[in-house]
Amino acid sequence: MEEPTAMSNAASQSASSRPGAARGLASAWWLRHETILAVLVVGEWLFFNSVGRRFGTWDNTFDILRHSAEIGLLSLALTPVILTGGIDLSVGSLLGLCAVVFGKLWRDAGLPVAAAASITLVVGGLAGGVNAALISGLRLPPLIVTLGSFSLFRGLAEALTRGVDTFTNFPSGFLFIGQERWLGVPAQTPVFLAAASFFWIWVHRTAQGRSFRAIGFSPEGSQYAGIPVRRRVASVYVAAGVVAAVAAILYTARLGQAKADAGTGYELYAITAVVLGGTSIFGGVGSVHGALLGVIAIAILNNGLVHARQPREVAGMLTGVLLIVALSVKPAIQRVALSWSRRKPGAKV
Amino acid sequence: MSERLLELTQVTKSFGAVRALKGVSFDLRPGEVHALLGENGAGKSTLIKIITGAHAPDSGRVEIGGSRVEGLNPARARALGIACIYQQPALFPQLSVAENIALRLEPSRMLRTIRWSERRRVAERLLAQVGAEIDSLCEVGDLSMPQQQLVEIACALGVGARILIMDEPTASLTQKEQRLLFGVVEDLRQKGIGIVYISHRLEEIFQLADRVTVLRDGESVGTFVASEVTEAALIERMVGREVAQVYPEREGEVGEPVLTLESVSSAAAGVGDVSLVVHAGEVVGVSGLVGAGRTELARVLFGLMPADRGVIRIHGERVDIDSPRRAVSHGIAYVPEDRRRHGIILEMSVASNTTLAIHERVFPGGWLRSSAENALASEFIRDLGIKAEGPHAVGASLSGGNQQKVSLARWLATRPRLLILDEPTQGVDIGAKAEIHKIVRRLARDGLAVLMISSDLPEVLGMSDRIAVMRNGRIAGILPGGTDARAVMALALGQA
Amino acid sequence: MPDRAQDVSGPPQESGASRGPRRLSAFRAHFREWTVAGALAFLLLFLLGAAPGFYQSQPLLSLLTRESPTLVVACGMALVMICRHVDISVGSLFSVCGVVAGLLWSSRWPAPAVLLGAVTCGALGGAVNGALVAGLRLPSIVVTLATMVAWREGLRWLRQGQFVNLPDGAQWLGMSQWGGQTALIGLGLLVFLAILYVCARIAGGRYIYAVGSDAEAARLTGIPASRVTFLTFVLLGTLTGFAAWMGALQSPQVDPKAGAGLELKAIAACVVGGVAVSGGRGNLWGVLVGLLLLVCVNPALTHLRVEAHWEKAIQGSVILLAVLADGWRSRRR
Repeated sequence: MEEPTAMSNAASQSASSRPGAARGLASAWWLRHETILAVLVVGEWLFFNSVGRRFGTWDNTFDILRHSAEIGLLSLALTPVILTGGIDLSVGSLLGLCAVVFGKLWRDAGLPVAAAASITLVVGGLAGGVNAALISGLRLPPLIVTLGSFSLFRGLAEALTRGVDTFTNFPSGFLFIGQERWLGVPAQTPVFLAAASFFWIWVHRTAQGRSFRAIGFSPEGSQYAGIPVRRRVASVYVAAGVVAAVAAILYTARLGQAKADAGTGYELYAITAVVLGGTSIFGGVGSVHGALLGVIAIAILNNGLVHARQPREVAGMLTGVLLIVALSVKPAIQRVALSWSRRKPGAKV
Repeated sequence: MSERLLELTQVTKSFGAVRALKGVSFDLRPGEVHALLGENGAGKSTLIKIITGAHAPDSGRVEIGGSRVEGLNPARARALGIACIYQQPALFPQLSVAENIALRLEPSRMLRTIRWSERRRVAERLLAQVGAEIDSLCEVGDLSMPQQQLVEIACALGVGARILIMDEPTASLTQKEQRLLFGVVEDLRQKGIGIVYISHRLEEIFQLADRVTVLRDGESVGTFVASEVTEAALIERMVGREVAQVYPEREGEVGEPVLTLESVSSAAAGVGDVSLVVHAGEVVGVSGLVGAGRTELARVLFGLMPADRGVIRIHGERVDIDSPRRAVSHGIAYVPEDRRRHGIILEMSVASNTTLAIHERVFPGGWLRSSAENALASEFIRDLGIKAEGPHAVGASLSGGNQQKVSLARWLATRPRLLILDEPTQGVDIGAKAEIHKIVRRLARDGLAVLMISSDLPEVLGMSDRIAVMRNGRIAGILPGGTDARAVMALALGQA
Repeated sequence: MPDRAQDVSGPPQESGASRGPRRLSAFRAHFREWTVAGALAFLLLFLLGAAPGFYQSQPLLSLLTRESPTLVVACGMALVMICRHVDISVGSLFSVCGVVAGLLWSSRWPAPAVLLGAVTCGALGGAVNGALVAGLRLPSIVVTLATMVAWREGLRWLRQGQFVNLPDGAQWLGMSQWGGQTALIGLGLLVFLAILYVCARIAGGRYIYAVGSDAEAARLTGIPASRVTFLTFVLLGTLTGFAAWMGALQSPQVDPKAGAGLELKAIAACVVGGVAVSGGRGNLWGVLVGLLLLVCVNPALTHLRVEAHWEKAIQGSVILLAVLADGWRSRRR
């Protein structure tokens, strides 16, 4: 590279000049993505509160919390994955596999719930390790690897249950976590808060979290800075596996049953929440609290539409639309800006 | 005057604060080989990019075929008969040679039937014209770099280019291939095609060129008829200037050997049998042509490429460097050549960039401590005179020179014993350049061992205590500091 | 001066560098296709000995008929993957197009108009993906993940999971079952051959390879890369619509969930057949043998008395194995 600022193509030019230009705006806290999203969430809540009669009650608020715990957990796990510029499509399937493994360990192997849960966590970590080994060890594209494991994990869950087996009749002490209240709040809240704090601290307050961003921005540049890129990348996929196992246990406790189809499509909701929360799908930019806001926004939408007597499918459809809108807003604005700048004579790109 | 294929008049181009071209005029006649000569950073590639339409000039006039052209873009330039052969061919690695050639030649209409036999025939004819013995059904990805260049030339021939730009076409060719290529160039000249020929190899220029234009610091130093000028005169023109620039004086004592290389070789890097010692307090310059293996040597020392033979010692202790991390732990720091891709992370702040290589030290237990980080960054901002809004300024918002200083700060923060600088002042404006020189000198005085790779000859001459000249992946010779430019050039060119 | 000096350096080879590498023999160049074909042949031979019941003509014919829409979709998927993208919304789109075809049929539209309706619906769905991917440069996986859900839930909302009853004479287009089945298999093969022709002999088809190989170089060469990408998605959508029509013909009712899992099957067939996920490389013959291998695994398992619930797990491991093999190959290069 001869000239410092001379770039060989327009893409790198826009990539580097935009953050510089947008910096003045982005640094104002009230224009941050998370702040805007928080305002939108409040607006959304107020809207549904005025539409549905029972929407604003404490009972319903706890209901929303309870129902978003699993997707919330998966979103937490996906945030560092996406920050490093990767993706994990297999978390929903892994939730299903872990639920089945947990059920099998408890019912068929006769293990106590605590032991079964611990082993399930290990299984989740190992499954995440399979992704990690293929992605960071063999440098295969995360997209296609996790698409394969998406199918593999769900398939294993089906094979283990022969497609029909359902695990039920869990002890009430276990169901308590999923269905009862503890200190006035849904019992899974402490688990979720613990996980959220862990991920927030990991991403925002540790050197490792800093290196996730560096890797997401520039894997090569990170390697040149002596960051152990492979180890860091592997760690986020393993963590995603463990969290999927935790989510599987909460899921089983909430529904009181474990089936092979547990968590089908959850990966979509989790990815949507993370992207909606301001995390760039290309890596580097994003936050855990943004992802949590994204989860809340989706959960309120789902719950609110039910209270507004709309069918469940509308919420699903809107989630898909929401994801596309969240993704396209920035590039669409950039395109418009680009075509404006092109109108200047001679400024051909 | 005869007609002109191409004429540039007083063309200027700036990138931010850097003025890459300060009013350059250049012209090309049919059937002429016009060589473009200059050091790295003199503005040759900017000039080429203006001709090919990749960059728009800030001011000045571009005429092609006698008529003025505004708003040139790559497609238009191609339509006007301009073809450029870069060192990195823009080919499709997974497609066959015949198809690669066909994609350039055939009109871009989607609903067109393809006749493979025709494609193959055309490709083979063009390949024969450039004297390449390449099977037209091979995948381009399986070809060597010079073969890919020959494919590029075949493409240019095929589209009937009238203006052909060749950017260091012989950098990786063998003698035999060179002779073939020169034959091709001669043929093209006979056909009335004008050729802009860029090369560092003076002997080639004298063999091929009709005229030579020398660029220096974005200005044209002059255009000469090749037969009326001597090699010495050209070198003089190329390097002449910065004799005037003042380099900081050498001071301090040269101490113990820090880095000792004993016949280090790396097949992957194309580096062979390198023996070199760098002492504490010493700046060793590494000079050589582009592609001589300088950056590759640095990459081997920093663990980015494996060394497969020889011994590397740090402070006399034999070390095995298999990753950048290991290199850092041995006290080696490497400020890379391509700072935008490797040197700093553009999207991150100055503070984050500064601490990226020393997470363990500034963040005990792995916990971010922004106060310590900001203090450290502020210290470097002050020490190195980095012009930034503060530790939180984003890397992309800084000028090239200041980005380079941030990259330097990151590595000084590791408190290295050996600092490898790769083109430390490339594309940096004069002021920042002088500052970086002062910093390097100060670091050496304080006992750091510095290995400085640079294509800027006056810089190497002015800064180095000793100069290692590389050629073809090997050390061609080690000269004392303060040698004259001709001796270094002669070694680098293999004329000694 | 040169952007990447390190890449061109190294001591020059001393002799014979202008002599190109010899072109790969037909076998080596299509190593993956032949390996998969070998595996398929082995499986078929094995079944001949172990489970001759597999070769009864009627079940075999039904199997091939059932999978001929999959072949059509897999051909389009191969093009999208060669273009270095992926589309996981085809399953949902298939269901939508099938229902649209069924509804048109039950309101007594003539068969060609029904086909046109299904194909248009598919093309529109593909155009949405294509516009978002090519126009806004969004990652195709996320875009199609979103459209997958949007189509699926939208269909469920509007139709509440109802089957669409076809009028008499719609099934097998009024032909006998045997006639209808052979016609559909023939139609599937015809589409396959047409796409094969496009890939090999039409400039636009070759542009897909060029764009997938290096989009920047394609742009420099004057290939309209974004338009090629857009049209590739539209083509996949169109083929999905056509396949949905082929699927709807096969029974007296249209299942609104007929497309579930189709995207994985199509992607698996491509990946197994040697279409590189890194773009620019792939051969439709490979996709054909890859698909045949995949669809024969399940009935083979049934005939061997292995439980069928392993199908998805096997599909997943086959994808992972194929990606692994690609990784190995690219590392060796």
